[in-house]
Amino acid sequence: MSSFLIKTLIVSGLLLMLAFPKTALAQTPNDAIMMEKGQLCIAAIYGHDSWDEYWEGTLKRKNGNIGTFTRRSVMGMFSLGITDNINLLGGLPWMKTDPSAGQMKGAKGLQDWGLWVKAKALEFKMGKSSLGLYPVIGLTGPASNYAVDYLPFALGFGAYELMGRGIVIYEHEKGFYLRGSYGYHLRSNTEIERDYYYTTHGVYSSTVDMPNASSFAATLGALVLDNSLKIELTYDGMNTLGGSDIRRNDMPFPSNNMEFTRIGGSLQYYFPFAKGLSVLATGGYTLSGRNMGQTTSFSGGITYQFGLWTPKGGAVD
Amino acid sequence: MRRIFTIAIVAFAALAILQSCEKDLPTNLEYSAYDFASLDENGGTWKPILLDSAAQIAIPAPAEEGSASFQAEVAETKAAAEKLTADQSEAVQYWSTNGLIRWNEIARELVAKYNLTPAANADGTYTLPDPANPSAYPNFPFAHPPYASRMYAYWSAAQFDALIAAWHYKYQYNRPAPYKADASVVTHLPQTDLPGYPADGAAVAAVSKAILTAMFPLEKDFLAEKAEEHQNSLIWAGINVQSDIVAGDSLGKGVAAIFLARAKTDGMKHAQAPKAISDSLAAVALERFGWQFINQEVPQRPVGIAPLYGRVKPWCIPNIEEVRPVPPPAPGSSEYEAAVAELKDYSENLTDEQREIANFWADGAGTYTPPGHWNRFASEAIVDNKLNPLRSARVFAYMNMAIMDAGISCWDAKYYYHYPRPTQSIPGFKAILGVPNFPGYTSGHSTFSAAAAITLSHFFPNRQAQFEAWAQEAADSRVYAGIHFRFDSEVGNTQGKACGIYAVDIAKADGGE
Repeated sequence: MSSFLIKTLIVSGLLLMLAFPKTALAQTPNDAIMMEKGQLCIAAIYGHDSWDEYWEGTLKRKNGNIGTFTRRSVMGMFSLGITDNINLLGGLPWMKTDPSAGQMKGAKGLQDWGLWVKAKALEFKMGKSSLGLYPVIGLTGPASNYAVDYLPFALGFGAYELMGRGIVIYEHEKGFYLRGSYGYHLRSNTEIERDYYYTTHGVYSSTVDMPNASSFAATLGALVLDNSLKIELTYDGMNTLGGSDIRRNDMPFPSNNMEFTRIGGSLQYYFPFAKGLSVLATGGYTLSGRNMGQTTSFSGGITYQFGLWTPKGGAVD
Repeated sequence: MRRIFTIAIVAFAALAILQSCEKDLPTNLEYSAYDFASLDENGGTWKPILLDSAAQIAIPAPAEEGSASFQAEVAETKAAAEKLTADQSEAVQYWSTNGLIRWNEIARELVAKYNLTPAANADGTYTLPDPANPSAYPNFPFAHPPYASRMYAYWSAAQFDALIAAWHYKYQYNRPAPYKADASVVTHLPQTDLPGYPADGAAVAAVSKAILTAMFPLEKDFLAEKAEEHQNSLIWAGINVQSDIVAGDSLGKGVAAIFLARAKTDGMKHAQAPKAISDSLAAVALERFGWQFINQEVPQRPVGIAPLYGRVKPWCIPNIEEVRPVPPPAPGSSEYEAAVAELKDYSENLTDEQREIANFWADGAGTYTPPGHWNRFASEAIVDNKLNPLRSARVFAYMNMAIMDAGISCWDAKYYYHYPRPTQSIPGFKAILGVPNFPGYTSGHSTFSAAAAITLSHFFPNRQAQFEAWAQEAADSRVYAGIHFRFDSEVGNTQGKACGIYAVDIAKADGGE
């Protein structure tokens, strides 16, 4: 089995999380593996996250009128090798949110589309290991007219977000790697369906000034079983740069100061008997947070990778 | 590839810079100083709400125009207005020609700040806000719609009486404003022919401070600071002298005391009835009609919001039975079933436009409430029509008395009929907004809004169609949201109009038409 294919599948496997900019595991393009020119990977992923406690500001609480909050999602994704060093990635999730208790309905619909460009900028070989630098830039935006001011049931923030991320990876030829990344998220204003709201003061506008955010991730990964199984352990988080806390017993608001740290893992298996096909599973648990739920998340999916075209002068495996 | 990244980095930086230039979002109604459409020179003869006469609160006769003391005061104002600091200049433009607009905004802001439902205690019980200990959690007040409607009514009715009295003395003493006495006084707001003594702005500030401090005791210092700034701004603007302000302040305090005395005995202190009384209201309805509203929250709230608000003393309606609506349709009746079918249809097929209407009028927790929404509309109409403070207060007063009366009538119906909400009656039914903790029939949004629309239409007849359309939309919004049955809203709308008409009739006879 080619390590290239494995890598391709790892790319697509991790990509599943790209389209969950507000939740769940690995929220941004976070891997350091490139698809070769002409290769396309497509993926379909089912995700499930839930919480029954959340942080109201810094106060951790339950809410009997929400019970257990659950979000289910189905997402389509792709990753395309434009050149060996530049990849285009995209994703679009449909999701449904539900409370288990209370008198309010959940929401459902398309959330945010995402498009990212990732490049291999630098690579240093150092004997049996290598060090690489991969910048990523991406844009996400609402894919439907979902109600933004309906947290925690809202599907997303309804804002456009431009994300810049730097990824550094140290790889050893024995099949393990360490990866770290830092991202900055520029957010546009968002619009809600009322023209007065109170955060720390009243605002006479339907426009909400969304704070920017930063994110980080640190991953330890390994390829085992003759490179057919990839295992990763990730610690990551997000820090909103500004925003207000949820007031006591108030509803959350899109411009809240949301923060979390999380621990998660993923497994991805490439089938030796079916070329280009893999399955993957992830899990995550929120360790700390602010103005967010303490989420436990799972996802599972299937990816398929194939040559869309054959680049001149090079055969694809 | 390097070029792509250079472009990306430049684009990112450019966006970051653009974003840092995003305009600050407005935190108040943007308006600039205006010339009053009329001065209402006879305003001192209008009939006050509570005062026996415009002269009930006495103020001393001012020093004569030619007196040395007045000349010295004019010189003081002149010196103060000559060169303003940036802060002083900002304060003048903020308070501007009609401080009522700002105080109404401050009142709305405080409602939004205090309009949060108390959380459950760890053991599943609930604690009610305690006016005797306002800073203990949950803070006093919980500024829910009945509380807010009453606050707006006292605030604005007291303003109206204080300004009638101010106008009375202005034209009794006819002492000129400083810029009339000395043409070299620099002013930063439009000059008028209004006599200066007493300062109407100072009376407005004093009434606001007194009423709002009584309603929001934890905001005492904030309100005192605002009132002081407002009164000082009148000197900085060059439109009043110090004795104008002292007299206006004293007048405002005197009038506010009369209104606060009424507030003490209007029945509000019994409105948040204890559980035994709240339960007995439900039991009576169950016995009489065969149904009762049951709070569906987890843990269940044992007492509804202000069960005895229906017994608070109204302003304009003669008695509560006069405006009590007919009973709601019995569950199982064809009208009831049609209303259920309509709600289920919205729940499955709500359009984006209907959702927007539901959210626009939600006015729920953390907002200025539906009465506040109408105060905002009133403020906008007042500014657009360039009303002077006296005439503005008249609009606020009759509108807010009508809104409060409508609220009292609505709460009477709510706890008399004790009718369940759709989320209680229809199995599995859920709403898209928070479901309030009081019976459904009739809809508060509908009742408040209809009363507001009918009074505002009286004062701004060329906007009648808009006000009525808004009231209808507010009523519809609750059905779209799944909070109310259609008949809750429809009957509430009729009930609100019936309440509002009493206020309009009084306005028609107050001399201000």
